[in-house]
Parts: sequence; structure tokens; C-alpha cells
Amino acid sequence: MIPLAGLLVGILAGLYFDVSVPLELQPYLPIAIVAALDAVFGGIRAVIEGIFNDKVFVVSFIANVLIAAFIVFLGDQLGVGSQLSTAVIVVLGIRIFTNVATIRRHIFHA
Amino acid sequence: MSLLNDLFAKPLDPGYEDAAARRRAAGERPTSKRTWRSPALAIGLVALGLLLTMSVLQVRNTASVVSSERQGLIEQIHNEDERVSRLQGEVSSLESEIGRLESDLLQNSAAGQQTREEVESLQATTGAIAVTGPGVVVTVDNAAEQDAENGTDKVLDLDLRQVVNGLWSAGAEAVAINGQRITPLTAIRSAQNVIQINYRPMDAPYEVSAIGDPRSLARDFGDGSGGSWLRDIASSSGIYYDVDSEESLTLPAGNTPLSFAIPGEGS
Repeated sequence: MIPLAGLLVGILAGLYFDVSVPLELQPYLPIAIVAALDAVFGGIRAVIEGIFNDKVFVVSFIANVLIAAFIVFLGDQLGVGSQLSTAVIVVLGIRIFTNVATIRRHIFHA
Repeated sequence: MSLLNDLFAKPLDPGYEDAAARRRAAGERPTSKRTWRSPALAIGLVALGLLLTMSVLQVRNTASVVSSERQGLIEQIHNEDERVSRLQGEVSSLESEIGRLESDLLQNSAAGQQTREEVESLQATTGAIAVTGPGVVVTVDNAAEQDAENGTDKVLDLDLRQVVNGLWSAGAEAVAINGQRITPLTAIRSAQNVIQINYRPMDAPYEVSAIGDPRSLARDFGDGSGGSWLRDIASSSGIYYDVDSEESLTLPAGNTPLSFAIPGEGS
């Protein structure tokens, strides 16, 4: 329940404070979100499998977001920003799907 | 393919396994049962929620800004259009007032009468006043079946120029296209696939009205360069055209303002 409450708190905080992203960081926001989603679902799966670890979660969360943003930034500099964004989204999307499928199997046993 | 295989087979961060293995090796339990209460996970989800909300709000704001900008531009265009037509109406009413005042002034003397007639004939020639008389109407329209790929089945500015030139050479004394008088300052050109006459966008069908001897004008036009041009494009690309004689045509005045050219030879 606590993680769910955290998600709600985050959403409400975003709505309440109406933080705006600096213009230069805007292209990296969607990618950062996908990376964060990947880390979060990985963490949830680890919890369910009983091998969750705070340090691994924090490091994977921050590293995922930064590396994804960096790859997109690099792609932008090389003129292949959209292709690299697609690559990042495909890779992270596959991981998210597989992890969520495992979570689903654990919860519903199906 | 090993990369993709890895991706499917081990979607979970290997770090979790390693950490668990290390803890097992150290003789501890891999993890406690109450990990749902891990502050790290909660903070991560707060961050995720924050990121999500920020991103969604950002996208919404951008969309609304773009659409309102667009709306503003459309409004501006309408306003300016209105202003242009209002100013044009003003110009034509002022021009007719000038004409009336001029003829009033010149009516008083015989020399003035003569000058007035001269001025009127010159104005009719240059298209500064409206003229009425018999003539022909040449209607040109795009082909019924459009070839979307290269668009050659549309009437081009070149075609209209050929028609107008053909009419002049057949003895037309005044020409107008869709109510736009052809004056010495008129340009028939296309901008962005739209034909502009007197810098006004025109739509098909194009009605080219010309005043002149109705019989010889139609005949000479048909025999001359304009008629042969129309026959050529009609047979090659299916453009429709029609030449009609009219008892009475009224061609409106054109706008012929001169800003730099001063009448006379100078000194």
C-alpha cells in the first residue's frame, strides 16, 4: 500500500505545485518516465520474488533515468535522436512488459 | 540475438539477484518480508508520479498554447482581410468622388468638356473607370477529372495569360477576369498553386470578359493564338473552355495607383 500511496502523493504533488520543466529538458522527460517505469516495475517484481534491495533499486532508478536521457541527448547531437529514443523505448518497453507479466503471474497465478 | 534473448530471459535487473546472492553468502536472509515498506520504493514511486504529472501537464499546456496561437492567427487574418476590403471600398468611393469632381469642374467650359472626354477615354483605356459594351466571355475551368499527381489538369496562370493576350490581339478594348480588371499594372501569376490577379487569389472557373466587336472579337480570338492555345490544352489535359458573345458587359474599374511614376517628361 505504501508504494501506491507514494504514487498518489507524487501525482497530487505534481498537480498541486504545477512544476514546469525547463525547455531544454523537455525532450528527455518521456524517455525518463519510461526508464523510471522500468525501474519501478523491476523493483515491484523483486519485492514479490523476495529479493528486493534498496540500494539496487535506487541505483537502477537513477541510472536508468540518467542513461536514457543521455542516450537521447547523444542521439540529438548526432542527428538520430528520434531513432535512439525509439530504441530506448523498445528495449525498456520489452523489459516493462516482461516484468509486468511476471508480476501478474505471481499475483493471479495465471 | 543474444542481446534480445537476454532482454526477454532476464528482464529483471541482475543487480537484485547479485545482491540477494551476496546476502545469502553472508549468511543473512536475502530480504525481509516487509519490503513493501521500503522507503526507497515509496520515494521512487513519488518521483514517478511527479514525472508523469509534469509530463502530462506539459503536453496539455503545449497543445493549448499551439491551438490558441493558431486561433489568434486565424482571427488576425480575418481582421486584416476585413480591413483590406474596407479600405478598398474607401478607395473606390474616393476615386468615384474624384471623377465626379473632375467632370464637374471640366463641364464649365468647352475646352474643359474636351479635356473631360479625353480624360475619360484615357481612363477607360487604362482601366481606371468601369466600362460597358458588347463583347465576349471566355470561360476556362479545370478538368473535371483531376490528376492529383502532377496537377497539370488545372488551369495555370500561363493559360490565363495566353487567353488575355489572345483577346488583346483579337481587338479587345478592355479585359477583366472574374471581375478583376486587367490594367497596365495587372500581374497574372500563381503563388502556391493559386492564381492571383491584381494580387487577389482567384478560383476556377475563370471568366475572362472582354469588350470589343462581339462578332469579330470571338472569331479572331478563335483563329488567333488564344484560341489555339485553349484548343491545345483542352485536348491534352481536358481543361474546359467556352467562348460566348454578350450583348452588354460591364467591366469594373481597376486599381491603378502610381506612387513613383510622375506624368510628363520631367525637366
